[in-house]
Amino acid sequence: MTKPVEEASVTSDFVRSYVITGGRTLPDSDDLALHTLVTLAPERTPPLGAGPEVTAIWHLCAGGYLSVAEVAGHLELPVGVARLLLTDLFEQGHLLRRAEPPRAQNVDRATLEKVLNGLQSLIG
Amino acid sequence: MTSLTRDPLLWILLVVLLAAVVAVMRARRTNMALRRTRKDLEAGLGQARGDVGQLHSHVAALTAQHRRDLADVRADAEAATKAVLKSAMGTLQSLAEEQQVLLDNLLKKYGDTTDVLADLMSVDHTGSQFGRRAKGISVLCGGWLGRREGAATVYDVARSAQGRIKDFDRVGVHSQVNVSLVGKAVEPVAVVLAELLDNATTYSAPGTPVEVNIQTVPTGVCFIVDDAGLGMDQETKDRATALLTVDGPVDITGLGDPPRFGFAVCGMLAARYGFAVSVGSVSPYGGVRAVIRVPESLLAADAPSPAAGAQDSPGPQAAPQRLAPVPVVGPSHVVGTTTGGLPKRRRRSGPVTMVPALDSTNQDATSEPAGEVTASRLGAFARGTHLGRTTNTTEGSDDQ
Repeated sequence: MTKPVEEASVTSDFVRSYVITGGRTLPDSDDLALHTLVTLAPERTPPLGAGPEVTAIWHLCAGGYLSVAEVAGHLELPVGVARLLLTDLFEQGHLLRRAEPPRAQNVDRATLEKVLNGLQSLIG
Repeated sequence: MTSLTRDPLLWILLVVLLAAVVAVMRARRTNMALRRTRKDLEAGLGQARGDVGQLHSHVAALTAQHRRDLADVRADAEAATKAVLKSAMGTLQSLAEEQQVLLDNLLKKYGDTTDVLADLMSVDHTGSQFGRRAKGISVLCGGWLGRREGAATVYDVARSAQGRIKDFDRVGVHSQVNVSLVGKAVEPVAVVLAELLDNATTYSAPGTPVEVNIQTVPTGVCFIVDDAGLGMDQETKDRATALLTVDGPVDITGLGDPPRFGFAVCGMLAARYGFAVSVGSVSPYGGVRAVIRVPESLLAADAPSPAAGAQDSPGPQAAPQRLAPVPVVGPSHVVGTTTGGLPKRRRRSGPVTMVPALDSTNQDATSEPAGEVTASRLGAFARGTHLGRTTNTTEGSDDQ
């Protein structure tokens, strides 16, 4: 028999993402955009038999709004997979979501400089 | 007297007597000759029998020698085949591993592109199955599995195994157990469980469920695989039992064509890593129940590390940057309402000290470089404008 030294290290992700999704079709990005904010609905208990990923989302979203991209980042999962899990929770009524705040209008440079000067005179 | 001599009867008697004497003598001579011949023949026969005995033992010796040589040649051929297969499968194993790492990165890179992601997942699925085959053959040929750093929960081990078979979506994993396997046991148990799941899905009708239940027992933890197939006949059961309890190298040429590696791989790994695999009991669905019993020595002592990526650790690094709730600073300056209904605000008297610090670490402003002070002030400004934006109603309701 050969020595255990030959055991190379396994580095790839252990649980493959298609197992996490259960082979289901991924939701479209129109539904939950990258920057859509999600949070836990008040007074909810985790679904029975929730997997580690769902539990992790539960802990992540318990404290306030978090964007879809951030949830995926923290879970170290592809965004589409995180989106599927979030959609599930949303459909079960566990999650609230809201669209991104509207973008601020572009202000011309002169105004910004005036504001900056004003600020500097106040706090500088 | 003359009458007597002339009597023909006397002469006839005489002749007959003579003839009889001659006949007796000849017969006696023949008899003696025959006896001699018989004695000679018997001696010859004895010698021949001895020769035959010698020849028999010689043939037996030759046959034994032939068998030994044949066994040697077979063992050599087997060893050579195994060596070649082991090295070839080792290459395939590392290629499969590389491919999975590559796919992990691609999945994250194209994570937001639904179609690409779905395609990549199907590529990943076939790749995982291919990796499992390569690992199985490699194990049978004396190769080693990859080793994981750190423990993994039994639930994740089961799901990892699930991902390595074709009909993974028929498998349901149920675990109320929060136990982890030590790093060295993770891959072997996952490979064995994948083989059992592959059997279970292959030998039961499409669409029927295959259940994995994980339970703790006094001597460790059990993975119980139940299918709803037709069960196994006695011959298959015997063969499975023989392969599962094998302790030593497996004859890979005796696994049939196409070769059935499954039970042989399970038996090899169970013997090598010290867990037990049994099949043959009947599942609640009428099919086969297969059980992997992992002893306590292969269970991790402490809670699983968050290395699996699925665990949320309460450490400071893992604490997410939450956007809300934002500390409310504005309303304190509202001192009342005007007659028109607008909020009346008081002019700030100490503007510099009123800028809220980001957190307690930024309180000690004297030791901080000027850049960080500016950053913290601009941060406060940003939060102020953010608050202003969140208090208006243009962004829609909280619950779309």
